[in-house]
Amino acid sequence: MSDQLTYPDVVQMAVPFFIAAILIELLWIVLKGRGGRYETRDALTSLIMGAGNVISGIVLGFIAYGFFMVLWDITPLDLGTAWYVVLLCFVLDDLRYYWVHRFGHRIRWVWASHVNHHSSQHYNLTTALRQTWTGTFTFMMIVRAPLILLGFHPAMVLFCGGLNLIYQFWIHTEAIGRMPRWIEAVMNTPSHHRVHHGRNPRYLDANYAGVFIIWDRMFGTFVPELDEEKPDYGLVRNLGTFNPIRVAFHEWVGIFRDATQPGLTWRQRLDYCIKPPGWSHDGSRDTSEAIKRKHLARNPQDAGTPGFPEGG
Amino acid sequence: MPLHILGILVVGGIAGVAVLLHLLGLSRVRRFGDEAAARAAWAAEFPDIPANRAVLCRNRAAALIETPQGPGVVWPMGADSTARFLTGARIARSRDGLTIRLPDYTAPRIRLTLDPDEAEAWLTDLEKTA
Repeated sequence: MSDQLTYPDVVQMAVPFFIAAILIELLWIVLKGRGGRYETRDALTSLIMGAGNVISGIVLGFIAYGFFMVLWDITPLDLGTAWYVVLLCFVLDDLRYYWVHRFGHRIRWVWASHVNHHSSQHYNLTTALRQTWTGTFTFMMIVRAPLILLGFHPAMVLFCGGLNLIYQFWIHTEAIGRMPRWIEAVMNTPSHHRVHHGRNPRYLDANYAGVFIIWDRMFGTFVPELDEEKPDYGLVRNLGTFNPIRVAFHEWVGIFRDATQPGLTWRQRLDYCIKPPGWSHDGSRDTSEAIKRKHLARNPQDAGTPGFPEGG
Repeated sequence: MPLHILGILVVGGIAGVAVLLHLLGLSRVRRFGDEAAARAAWAAEFPDIPANRAVLCRNRAAALIETPQGPGVVWPMGADSTARFLTGARIARSRDGLTIRLPDYTAPRIRLTLDPDEAEAWLTDLEKTA
């Protein structure tokens, strides 16, 4: 087996491109007076979160890689390194990304890691870099196990994951409206991903795609961006701090406080970890379903429109 | 890429972007145009809990909100804003106005810039209700 296979660290190589693209987007916004917003402390927080993510990868990356190499030793399959194998790996890893991302919004333990990516009230290229420091602790590397057991080399899988991340950088912008129809049909685009970052009830829990939007269309989570409803970016309850430590860890702290409060059953403590964000044992908080339901109670005319179930 | 080159790129890139944004005047904090804007900012965070009354501070940077469930505050987060109830808040005078400490990891401290007489009035008001 090809144990020594290596690919370039494309995310690290892309850092100069990230910086250049941010400067170009900023220049565009300042010169044109449209296409998005920048604010110093918000952007600084996003960039520090991005740097922390790189450091976290350097410090903790060996855990996932070690796990993958154990699987690679176990599996009798080796699909090799042909270009079409890499292509297939990229597509299947994007399917893997869709499900990890969906879990990231539906399981609070995983949301605790992902929430910081949604914590900016802005939507620009720096938001793309507002990445988690705690992804390792979600154990979502397990979702990659089938790829490696099928015979895709761990280095190839991580290479494809890096390309996936780089693809997603450019879609975090308001400077691009809509792409040609065939691209919007197949690929994840700025328009589709703006929906994903919207905290409008209509846009909650939608468009989990990484590269190919077809996964959302297949699994019923696609919601189009409506011209008449601009996404309102951020969290349902926005943070009151720019402190990167609090941004990175606030939901973990929330889980700890909720799960250790007195008077709960062990089942309720577990549920605070694994139920969707907003779940509470006494119903005092709102999940995304409850938020949509309450919105429909106030705006019944929205029932059956994109992002909302039929009324009744 | 060698680690030290990556480090220089990341640190230099972050610092450069931050300085550029500041020089472009993009560090300005939000001001609420009127009480309706403050109420709208509250409604964006708590759509189910109506603001009965909004008291905007003189510099328009924050507002006290009265609701059926108790007092709250909206304040700027950079160019945007957020809001919290004042349940369990510890409020103290500061050199520039008031400092509100909340038992909330996501919003531990709110600094309000208020004129001295305004700070006194807000403090009295909040001590009665919070």
